[in-house]
Amino acid sequence: MPITRTATLDLHLLAKFTNLLLPAALILSLLAGINISFYFHFLTVALLMLNTLNFAYLFIQRRHTLLRNFGILGQARYLMESIGPELRQYFFANDTEERPFNRSERSEVYRKSHGIDATGAFGSLSEYDRDEIKLRHSLFPTPHNELMPYELKVGAARGLESTYTLHRPIMISAMSYGALSAYAVEALSTGAKEAGILMNTGEGGFPKYHLRGGSDLIFQLGTAKFGVRHPDGSLDDEAFKKLCARPEIKMIEIKLSQGAKPGKGGILPKEKISAEISELRGVDRDHDVVSPPGHVECKDLTSTIAFISHVQSISGLPTGIKLCLGSPREFEDLVKEMIKQDTFPDFITVDGAEGGTGAAPTAFLDGVGMPLFVALRTVDQILIRENVRLRTVLFASGKLINPAKQLLALCLGADACYTARGFMLALGCIQALQCNRNTCPVGITTHDPSLMRGFIVEEKAKRVKNYVDGMLSDIDHLIAAAGVHRASELTLDHLYIPDQHELAPLMPASSSPTAQL
Amino acid sequence: MKTRLTLSWILQTLVVLILIYPSWSKLIGTPQEVALFTTLGMEPTGRYIIGFFEALAIVLLLIPSSVTWGAILTLCIMSGAFIAHATKIGFGGEITVMSIFLGVTFLSALGILILRSQELPFIRDAFARSTTPQKTDGDKSK
Repeated sequence: MPITRTATLDLHLLAKFTNLLLPAALILSLLAGINISFYFHFLTVALLMLNTLNFAYLFIQRRHTLLRNFGILGQARYLMESIGPELRQYFFANDTEERPFNRSERSEVYRKSHGIDATGAFGSLSEYDRDEIKLRHSLFPTPHNELMPYELKVGAARGLESTYTLHRPIMISAMSYGALSAYAVEALSTGAKEAGILMNTGEGGFPKYHLRGGSDLIFQLGTAKFGVRHPDGSLDDEAFKKLCARPEIKMIEIKLSQGAKPGKGGILPKEKISAEISELRGVDRDHDVVSPPGHVECKDLTSTIAFISHVQSISGLPTGIKLCLGSPREFEDLVKEMIKQDTFPDFITVDGAEGGTGAAPTAFLDGVGMPLFVALRTVDQILIRENVRLRTVLFASGKLINPAKQLLALCLGADACYTARGFMLALGCIQALQCNRNTCPVGITTHDPSLMRGFIVEEKAKRVKNYVDGMLSDIDHLIAAAGVHRASELTLDHLYIPDQHELAPLMPASSSPTAQL
Repeated sequence: MKTRLTLSWILQTLVVLILIYPSWSKLIGTPQEVALFTTLGMEPTGRYIIGFFEALAIVLLLIPSSVTWGAILTLCIMSGAFIAHATKIGFGGEITVMSIFLGVTFLSALGILILRSQELPFIRDAFARSTTPQKTDGDKSK
C-alpha cells in the first residue's frame, strides 16, 4: 500500500498549542489556589515564571528567529545542540571518524602513556587499501642487536662549539606556558627529562615552568619575542643573551610561521591571561594577545637571513627556523639567499598546515598552508637540489602522534620529529576542543585552579616518559622491519605510496607502487 | 561593569537583610506567622517550606556563582507572597510594613537580575547585545 502521508510531529502546531496552554494553565492554577488550596500557588508561581520567559522569547528578544516563532519549545533545540558534541563523542562517532584525532589514534597514545599492551585485535580499523601510505618491510629484518643507536648532531655543519646531540628522534613541540597550564608544562618538562628528550618552550616569554623539570630546552623566538623584546617589537639582544646563557637552553628556534595559522601571529585569548602570564609576557589582560604576523626584522629574503645570522651570533647556540611551507618557490629563493650569505639555520622545522594550536581563526586552521608530508618532501628536495641538504637538519611536526606517522616523516626526509598534541594526549587530553576558552576539563590548557586541581604532576610526568618509551620501541621495531640499521638510512624507497595519494606526483618513478614489481 | 556589580551587591545585601527575619520567624513559628499561615490554610507544612526557601535564597544570594539563581528564587517567593496578599490577607492594616518590604524585595530582586543580565541562564544569549569582537595587538607600547 503506498504511503501518502507519514506521521510526523508538527512542531509549529505543538509550539502554538504550548504557547496557548501555558497562560491557560496559569489561570487554572491561580483559580485552584484561590478556591481549593493555597498549595496550588507553588504551581502558579512556577507557571508565572515560565510564562514570563515565554513572553520574553516571543515578543521581546530580537536575536533568535526560532525563539520568536516557537517560544520556549524553541529553546529545546539549543539545549540539544549544546550537548551534541558530547553525545557524538560518547556514543555515536565511529572509532575512525573523529577529528583531529579519532578514537583509535587517541587510544594508542593513551595505552602507550599508561605503559600497557598496545596490540590491536582482528585487523586494522583504518581504510586499508585506499590512500594510506605504508612502510615497505624487508624480507630480511635487521636483528635487534645490530640496530645503531640514534644520534643527530645539530650545529655541527656550521662548526659550532656548542653543538647539541639528539639521542631520541622525538621532541616535544612548541607549547607555551599560557597555552598550557603551569602543571601541564611542569609535567612535560619532568617527563622529558626522564625520557631524555628535548622540549620546545613555545613563544611564552621567560620559560619559568619549562625550567622546573630540568629537561633540555629549545627556546622558541616567536614573532612577538615575549620576554626578549624591545617595545617596538625588535629583539632585545642583552636580554636574549642572558636567557641563552641558561644551561637548560640548548637550542633556539626562530618561528617564522606556524602550521595552524601560517601568516598570522600566535594568539592567546584573554580568558587565559592570568596575572602571572601578563607579567611574563609583558602584555595587558583586557585583550586577546595577538602576536604580529612576522618578525619586524624580517622584511625580505636578505633581512630574514641576516636576522637568522644575527640570532646565531648572539645566542652562540644551534639556531634554527620553524615554518609552514606556503610557496615552494619562495622557499627555494630563501635557500638561494642562504647560499649567497653563507648562513644556514642549524635546523629547519617544517610544520604541517594541520598543526595544532591553542587558538587560531578557523579560516587559518582549515584553509592555509601546505600539508606536512608534501611540504616536507618539497623542502627536502629543494635542499638536495641546491646541494645544501647536509648544511642543516630537518625536523617535522604536524599530527605526528604515533610511530607509524613518525616513520613516514623520517622516510620523507625528516631527521627528527616533533609532536605537541601527542604529548597533550599522553597528559590525559580528552579532545574536548576547548583549548581557547580556559575551560579545559582536564587541567591541561586552563589556568582555572579548580580545573587544574585534578592534574597530578608526578603521575602525568610518568605518562610522558611511558609514551616516549613506547614510541621509541615501536620506531626501533619498524626500522628493523625495514631492514636498515638506523633512522637516517630510511628513504623514500621504504614507502609504498598509492598512485592516488597527494604525494605520488612528487615521487620519482622508481617508487610508484607497481614500479618494483 | 564594575559599577553594575557593586550596585548588584548593594541590592543583594538589602534583600538578604530583609529576608533574614521572615525566614527565621517562619522556621521557629512566631505567633504572627502561625496566624498568617493558618489563614492561608498551610499551617505548618507550608510555613516550613516557605521559610526554607527564603533561607535558601539568602544563601544563594551570598554565593557569587549563584546570585542570579537566588534572585530568581526571591522573585518566585515574592510573587507567591503577592498572590497571598492579593487573594487572602490584603495589604493594609497591621501588615502595611510587610507589604512595603514585599514590594522592595521584589523590585530589588528584579534589579539584581537586570544588572546581571549577562549571567542569566537561558536568557543571556537571547538578550545579549550583539557585539563586534575587538582584536588588538595586546601590545602596550602601540
